[in-house]
Amino acid sequence: MTIDFWGLGLQAVNVLILVWLLSRVFWRPVAGAIARRQETTQAMLAAAKAAEVKAGAALAEVGKARDGIAAERRALLAEAAAKAEAAAQASLAEARAKAETLLADAQTAIDRDRAAARRETAAEASALSVDIAARLLGQLNGPAVQTAFLARLLKAIAGMSAAERASLVASAAEIEIVTAAALTDAEWAEIGTAISAALGGAPRLTFATDPDLIAGLELRSAHFVLRNSWQADLAAILKEMKDAA
Amino acid sequence: MNSPLESVALFYIGPVPITQAILTTWAIMAVLVLGAKLLTRRLALIADKRQAALELLVAMLDTQIRETTGAAPAPYRDFIGTLFLFILVANWSSLVPGVDPPTAKLETDAALALLVFLSVIWFGVRGAGLRGYLKSFAAPNVVMIPLNMLESVTRVFSMFVRLFGNVMSGVFVIGIVASLAGLLVPIPLIALDLLTGLVQAYIFAVLAMVFITSAVEDGQPRRAEAGPVPSPKQKDP
Repeated sequence: MTIDFWGLGLQAVNVLILVWLLSRVFWRPVAGAIARRQETTQAMLAAAKAAEVKAGAALAEVGKARDGIAAERRALLAEAAAKAEAAAQASLAEARAKAETLLADAQTAIDRDRAAARRETAAEASALSVDIAARLLGQLNGPAVQTAFLARLLKAIAGMSAAERASLVASAAEIEIVTAAALTDAEWAEIGTAISAALGGAPRLTFATDPDLIAGLELRSAHFVLRNSWQADLAAILKEMKDAA
Repeated sequence: MNSPLESVALFYIGPVPITQAILTTWAIMAVLVLGAKLLTRRLALIADKRQAALELLVAMLDTQIRETTGAAPAPYRDFIGTLFLFILVANWSSLVPGVDPPTAKLETDAALALLVFLSVIWFGVRGAGLRGYLKSFAAPNVVMIPLNMLESVTRVFSMFVRLFGNVMSGVFVIGIVASLAGLLVPIPLIALDLLTGLVQAYIFAVLAMVFITSAVEDGQPRRAEAGPVPSPKQKDP
């Protein structure tokens, strides 16, 4: 057995060269690729971690903003509810005021209408009463009534002032004595005498008949009327009743 | 059949005899380098199947180194990995008809053992310093110095003999059986020889790693004994 030392040395050199070559074309490139991937993965993990932290912060911000929005929403809703309540109260108060106004107006109108109706009814009742009274009094137009009206006329003339009586007597115009029914000449003469005596002179007297008087005795001239009849009395009463209504 | 203990020079380059083992080694070197160059042409961040297989091989080697030495694998990867690949391909080169594996020759195995012996010194000095490396011979005490020095030689010699014996015997047995029983009979033996070649490559690489680690660890100061072995200069990628 012999060992070829040249061959031994050459094989050692060959293996050394192979170690050197493979380290450059195989081991280091492949290990480098692994290392690059690991670094890239680490970088990606770090980036993902940073992104996660950032996303967490953003999520917290969003949550905070959402809480703020919710609080603002609640405040706005409360404010809107308060405004709506106030508006409703105002509308209700306005509607109530309008209703009260309308009610008062309606009440006023009702009162007015009622008063007008009452006045109208009263007027009609008064007119009817006067008519009834006129018819009833018309049936009582007798000598006693005529005498009573003559006494009232004379009393009214006596109640006039002396100047008024003298003016009436001195007037050129005729004084018309009006009765409700026609009288006899004697009755006319008696009445003319009594009136002339009451006036204190000799006035120019004429006689006339007016059934509208119902009953009574009146003096009429161009500028003077002395009413003394149931017609005038009833008209006065009717006027008073209308004024009272 | 030529004696496996002798090498026949095919031609000479100057005084250097070129044997078939050397030619086969050159061919294996060319195949490994060109193959590695081709396979690592386009290494991307996202690996395809080819790149994944290459990275799996490197990762397995790194894991083996890390588990054996407890240190970062980068400083040892080139040497240990190349030893493993070369011995494996050399052992399996017997599959090529007419080719004897270079590891079936004394010179190749002796050269590999010599490289391991020198690498132990190199990594020991590099990792623990010259003083630390020399101190590693005094572990566990100075009485062991002669034995440790003798061991440093005999252990690589045993590696050399183990590899040579296994590979040479396989080739020799297959040759004898083939000459006696024709073509098909040696096939189981060839398969067994493939397994033997793989195991021997693995054993040689692991033993080289263990020897290197032992030299580095024994040269470290006492306080470092409990901790992992520091890597000698290069950082682990």
